[in-house]
Amino acid sequence: MGPLQGIRVIELQGIGPGPFCGMMLSDMGAEVIRIDRAGNVSGVASDGPPIDVLARGRSSIGVDLKNPEGVEVVLRLIETADALIEGFRPGVMERLGLGPDECFARNPKLVFGRMTGWGQEGPYAMAAGHDINYIALAGALEPIGRQGEAPVPPLNLVGDFGGGGMLLAFGVVCAVVEAQRSGKGQVVDAAMVDGAASLMAMFHSMRALGVWNDERGTNLLDTGSHFYDVYECADGRYISIGSIEPQFYSELLRLTGLEQDDGFAAQMDRTSWPDLKERIGAVFMTKTRDDWCEIMEATDVCFAPVLTLAEAPEHPHNQHRGVFTEIAGVVQPNPSPRFSRTKEVIQGPPANPGEHTDQVLSSAGYDPDDISKLRDVGAVA
Amino acid sequence: MGPLSGLKVVELAGIGPGPFCAMLLADLGADVVRVDRTAQVDLGIDRGRKYNVLNRSRRSVSVDLKNPDGVETVLKLIEEADALIEGFRPGVTERLGLGPEECHRRNPRLVYGRMTGWGQDGPMAHAAGHDINYIALTGALHAIGPTDKPSPPLNLIGDFGGGAMYLAFGICAALLEAKTSGEGQVVDVSMTEGAASLMSSIYGMHASGHWSDNREDNVLDGGSYYYGVYETSDGKFVSIGSIEGKFHDELLELTGFTDAPTEDRNVQESWDEKKARLGEIIKSKSRDQWDEIMAGSDVCYAPVLDLSEAPRHPHNVARGSFVEVDGVIQPGPTPRFSRTPGEVQMPPPAPGQHTMEVLTDWGFSSEDVEKLKDVGAVT
Repeated sequence: MGPLQGIRVIELQGIGPGPFCGMMLSDMGAEVIRIDRAGNVSGVASDGPPIDVLARGRSSIGVDLKNPEGVEVVLRLIETADALIEGFRPGVMERLGLGPDECFARNPKLVFGRMTGWGQEGPYAMAAGHDINYIALAGALEPIGRQGEAPVPPLNLVGDFGGGGMLLAFGVVCAVVEAQRSGKGQVVDAAMVDGAASLMAMFHSMRALGVWNDERGTNLLDTGSHFYDVYECADGRYISIGSIEPQFYSELLRLTGLEQDDGFAAQMDRTSWPDLKERIGAVFMTKTRDDWCEIMEATDVCFAPVLTLAEAPEHPHNQHRGVFTEIAGVVQPNPSPRFSRTKEVIQGPPANPGEHTDQVLSSAGYDPDDISKLRDVGAVA
Repeated sequence: MGPLSGLKVVELAGIGPGPFCAMLLADLGADVVRVDRTAQVDLGIDRGRKYNVLNRSRRSVSVDLKNPDGVETVLKLIEEADALIEGFRPGVTERLGLGPEECHRRNPRLVYGRMTGWGQDGPMAHAAGHDINYIALTGALHAIGPTDKPSPPLNLIGDFGGGAMYLAFGICAALLEAKTSGEGQVVDVSMTEGAASLMSSIYGMHASGHWSDNREDNVLDGGSYYYGVYETSDGKFVSIGSIEGKFHDELLELTGFTDAPTEDRNVQESWDEKKARLGEIIKSKSRDQWDEIMAGSDVCYAPVLDLSEAPRHPHNVARGSFVEVDGVIQPGPTPRFSRTPGEVQMPPPAPGQHTMEVLTDWGFSSEDVEKLKDVGAVT
C-alpha cells in the first residue's frame, strides 16, 4: 500500500479537480470515502463500475445533504478523518452546516481542503467558470499557440489537474504533516487561478529577464524556434523535437543530415528561426514517423514520437514502465509517482454511488437499526 | 510560517521541475538548501539572479561534487535532512557517491526524491529529453491544438504540472509515512507518467467513446463552440466555457446568440457553423466591452490576459495571487493555508551565497568550513 495508508479522507462528490485529488490520495494509500448525493444512487443493480477513471479506488456512501440527519452522518464521519475535500462554490458548505467552523468543532485536527476556480474570495469568487476561464485570468492561456493564431486551450490539464487537483493534493498532505505536529487542522484554499499562475512562474522570470516576447509563437518553448516543436512526417504523423542545449542540437543536425548546412549554425539567432523551421520541416517530411523513431529514439536529440491516446499505452517504454494499466476493461494511467518501499496501488474500480453505504456506516459505529432508520427518512441511500 | 516549517530539504541544483518543486516546498516553510556547483559561482555581480523566480525562498551553498570532501559535505547535510531532491539522469548520483544506498546508510529516514523525464528505468531512461518529448509519449501532446497540427502547451504539462507537482506531493506523502515507520524511501517521478496521470479523465472519456483521437473534435479541445477562445474587435481574446445547460443559457442571453438552442448544443455537426456565428458576435465588441457584459456572470467567462496583464487584474490583485520580490513580479505561494500561511522566504540567491551560514546552521564548525574552502570542496 502507498505512503498515505492510515490517512482517512472524506470527499464531497464534485467534478474535475476534486475527484482528481481524491484519486491521487487514494492511489497513494489513503482511505477515501466519497459522499455521493442520495439522488444519484440508482435503485437497480449496476452492470459494472462506471467508466470514470477519476473516481477509482474509494468507497461511496449516498447522503442527502439537505436532510439534517444526512448532514449529521457526514459530521460523524468527519470526526475520525484527517482531511476533507470539497469543491462547491464559496459559502455552500457553510449553508449546508458543513463549513469549517462546524467541522473543526467536531474535529480540531481536520484539514479542510477547498477546491475552487477563483478562490474563496475576490470579485470573481461567486461566478461560475471552467478551466479555460481560470487559466485565461492567470495569464497561462494567452501564451499557448502559434504565431498569428488564436491561443490554444491545453485541454483542461493546466487548471483542473496540474494547477488544481495536484495543488489541492499537495496542500492537503502539507497540512496533514503540520497537523500531526501541532494537533491542529486548518483550511487549505486551493484556487485553480492561483495554481495555473504558479505553473507560469518561469515565464515571468524569462519575461523580466527580457528573453520572452509577448508575441505568441515567437519564443524558445512556444513553437517559435525550429528546434523545439512538433513536425509532420511523410505518413501524416508527428514527432516532437526539443534540442535546446548545444550538444543536443548538434545531435539533431547530425541525424537530420544538416550538420554541414551553415544556415543552421547560429542556433539562437531568432531572425532565422522561421526559415530554418521550414527547411528542417521539409527534411522531416521525407520519412515516416517510424523511420524517424528508428533514427532518433533513445538518442540525445531530445526526441519522441507524438502518440495518440490509443497508441501511448502500447509504446515499449510505457509498457516497460507500466505507465498504463487496465481496470475493469478501461485503459488508464497507473498511479504516479512511484515509491520504492510503500508501493502505490489502485485500490479498486470506480464505485457506483451508494455502493458502500451500509459498510461505511457500520464501520463508523452505526448499528443496523440506525442505518435502516436513516434510510427510511431518506438521509442516506 | 508555512505548514512545512521545521522540515529540512537538500536540493541538488538542476533546471525546470526540480527547482520548481523546491520552490513549492520552500514557499510553504521548508528549510531548503540548494547545492550549487562550484563552477557556477560568479564572483561578479550577477544581474540575472533576482529573475530566477524558481530559485526563490532558499539559501545556496556551493559544493564541488567531484571532490570527495565536497561529497562528504553533502552527505553530512543529508544526515540532517528530511528529504533530498535531485534531477540528474539515472545513475549519476550513484556515480557521484550520493545514490540512495549511500544516503540511506547515513540517514535511513531520508525521502529521496528523483525527478526525470522518462523514469529511472526503461528503454528511453538514458536518453536526453525535454517536456515536449515526455508529453508526446503520453497522448497529451497529440490531443492539444488545432485540427492540422498539435500545439505544445509550453512546458506546463511535463515540467511543472506533471513533474514538479508530483514530486512535491510524493515527497510530502513519503514524509508522512516516514514519521510513523521511521524509514525513508525513493520517490521516482517521471514527467511522462505525471503527464499521463494528468490525462486520466481524458483516458476515461476515450474508453467510454466520448473522446475522439482527432483534435478539435471534442468538447474540451476547441471542437465545441461553447468551450473555446474567441477574438474580440481589438485583437484580444476572451475565453468561454459554457458546458452546463444553465451556463449555456446565460451565454445565449448575454451574447444575443439566440439561434442556438441549449438542448442542441451537443449536436456535433452544427459546431463549426455555430463557432463561426458566435465568433462574429464576439468580434463585434472589444474585450473590455465583453468584460462589462460577462465578467462575474455564470457564462463561465474570463478575458484572456497576457503575462503583464494577469498580475494587474482586479481579481488577482484582490487575491494577492502575484507578489513583487526585489522588483520582480511573480506568482505568490500557493495553495493558501488559513493558520500557517506560506510566504516567499527570500529572493533567489547567488550560487554559494550562504555557504558559511548554512553549513554552520546545519552543524559544521566555522573552522571545518574554512578547511573545506581551502581544499576547494566548497566555495
